[in-house]
Amino acid sequence: MGFEVTSVLKQWRSLFALWVGRSVGRILRLIGRRGTSLPGFLATRLSPDLLFHLLSQLQTCIIVTGTNGKTTTNALLYSILSSSESPWITNKDGANLVQGLLAALLPHVTSGGKLQIQKAVLEVDEATLPRIVDHFHPTMIIVTNVVRDQLDRYGEVDHALAMLRRGISYPGIQLIVNADDPLAASLGIGRELTYFYGMDECPIDRQERNEVKDGAFCLLCGREIEYTRTIYGQFGHYACPSGDFIRPVPEYAGILEKGIPELTVVRRKSGVEAERFRVKAPVLGLYNYYNLLAAVTVAQILGVSPYKIENALTNYEAPLGRMQVYSGRTKRILALIKNPTGANSILRTIETDELVKIICFAINDGDADGRDVSWLWDIDIESFLDQANCTQYYCAGHRALDMALRLAYAGVERERIVVLDTLSDIVTVTDEGQAPVYILSTYTALYPLGIHLREATQ
Amino acid sequence: MSDLVIRVGHLFPELLNLYADQGNIAVLRRRAEARGIELQVKSIKLGMELKVEDYDFLLLGGGSDREQGIVGRALTPYRSDLQTAIEENMPILAVCGGYQLLGEYYELVSGERIPGLHLLEMVTKPGKGRLIGNIAVDWLEQNREFRKETIVGFENHIGRTYHDYPPLGQILEGYGNNGDDRYEGVQYKALIGTYIHGPLLPKNPHVADQLLRHALSYRGHFDSLHALNDSLEWQAHCAVLTQLGVKREKERS
Ligand SMILES: [Zn+2]
Repeated sequence: MGFEVTSVLKQWRSLFALWVGRSVGRILRLIGRRGTSLPGFLATRLSPDLLFHLLSQLQTCIIVTGTNGKTTTNALLYSILSSSESPWITNKDGANLVQGLLAALLPHVTSGGKLQIQKAVLEVDEATLPRIVDHFHPTMIIVTNVVRDQLDRYGEVDHALAMLRRGISYPGIQLIVNADDPLAASLGIGRELTYFYGMDECPIDRQERNEVKDGAFCLLCGREIEYTRTIYGQFGHYACPSGDFIRPVPEYAGILEKGIPELTVVRRKSGVEAERFRVKAPVLGLYNYYNLLAAVTVAQILGVSPYKIENALTNYEAPLGRMQVYSGRTKRILALIKNPTGANSILRTIETDELVKIICFAINDGDADGRDVSWLWDIDIESFLDQANCTQYYCAGHRALDMALRLAYAGVERERIVVLDTLSDIVTVTDEGQAPVYILSTYTALYPLGIHLREATQ
Repeated sequence: MSDLVIRVGHLFPELLNLYADQGNIAVLRRRAEARGIELQVKSIKLGMELKVEDYDFLLLGGGSDREQGIVGRALTPYRSDLQTAIEENMPILAVCGGYQLLGEYYELVSGERIPGLHLLEMVTKPGKGRLIGNIAVDWLEQNREFRKETIVGFENHIGRTYHDYPPLGQILEGYGNNGDDRYEGVQYKALIGTYIHGPLLPKNPHVADQLLRHALSYRGHFDSLHALNDSLEWQAHCAVLTQLGVKREKERS
């Protein structure tokens, strides 16, 4: 009896929370404000169970998690899946905490509390994942990678890994994981219902770089892992000298050729090639090819044909700050950076542009950026400088001076480093030139920059 | 000054690299080079022999609990060599986890004690919550007189460290060693242990130069270091002070 009363109360509470969330969402849309987590925030405050109540109605739920590449992988996957007959729900803008997930689901709920769409592909923050999975089991979890990110938010890499391990611990969930990242791959070793993806061939290996390899130690025996091939950061082909841990042979292997913006995918069955097809890449940069490979892998597991994948991706648009291009008088490319591995991979992409260029850093230290900016010193600026072909460096944001010092001590002449007072100065100081401008921005600087750049190109 | 060399031993960079020690090395290297001194940095990795007498300066960075345990065990055989070097005024910079390792033990939340090197009478205990944020301290002389200079940076630690040595500084803003006694870090002979990273040296060129001077005199050179153009460094230093609301007359020209 008591149980029934509480459960009825809970349900009423959920419905009330739902009503509030939906109403606020509608009002915000009416007054022209979108992309906020406010409706979700209010709804969670009123009923913490609402999210699980809604998630449990999904027939198919795919969760994308990991340190880097979640938003791009999620967006690529959504553009493949949403081209099919039945609609999908997603949190496209990277709002990946509980409120963001609710905000994505709420517009599709009837006033009676029923979800009208039963399929969702959701980006979920790795710290939020265990909270979700304890109450609700998704169909699939994709782990893109596990690298050092925003130390003060999570403590350490070990902790992030422990949270992911808890997140995937429920049987019956399919796990799709990056074989080339030893930390991520360790999650899938010996686990049932696990698929690996990884790059078999890659046109790089220029030099052993001075990058921090977070996965450089075997989690089983503690010895330093040996790489037969490094791709970038901690990604590569590796084995522990003790023989207890080796890069798994991926079921979905990618092959890249120099200068060709295409990804060849080899599907293996029991280790033997079963199919091979090509996908034109709608993205820039090696790290984005990993995201593409992850999305293609999932689509294939869900039974989407290569032809449909290729077709769907022609309509893909990069989310904010994922190397999207603003073409005006001056061409500007905006990229989000949040940790050394991500920043290094973006610098390596910029190197492939042989034009003389300008680089701007917009560095903030808000909660969402990570308040500790020591990671700037782990970015491999030194080996970038050899190839950079960059005339001027601008630094803006709350931590502009930290970045300026980073550049100076990497060896950039001090006269070529300019510290700007405000973010919008980035647009004004670079407005007239011919040289392309690459803007590398942390999270909280990204949205204001996006607005300034849109205004400048109009 | 010509063909002067400072030999730096970077202890276990593959394990203790959590807080951008490369930044500290980059600063030492550039500032040494600008004075015609070559900084030779050698990484001492797990499994390698450490010959303390081959170095003029040692750097010990921060790592996770797991990694600190590994480093503690690996360094134990060299404990007495290190102790002798410290007594002979060898400069050592130990940051975060490396700082904790200098003590008797580092106690985890679970109650488990990771044994330290016990080079100093110092212990680290767990506390409630992480001590995170920007920090500014008044640099103290070893006789606890103020040097009238500030040190700034970022701290992020869960351990609370207790000792009776002269601290590196007195807190102006932030938490420091344990959040209670308003002190930060330790100074013993030419050794500096600190929770301040960010990293420590880029925004504190005066500390970087002091370490270089210690390393030179440990080698038997007592030349002074000529001043460099540090306007960007002090601008960044003062930005942290301003942001923390620390108002201090600067005695610097
Ligand atoms: Zn092993």
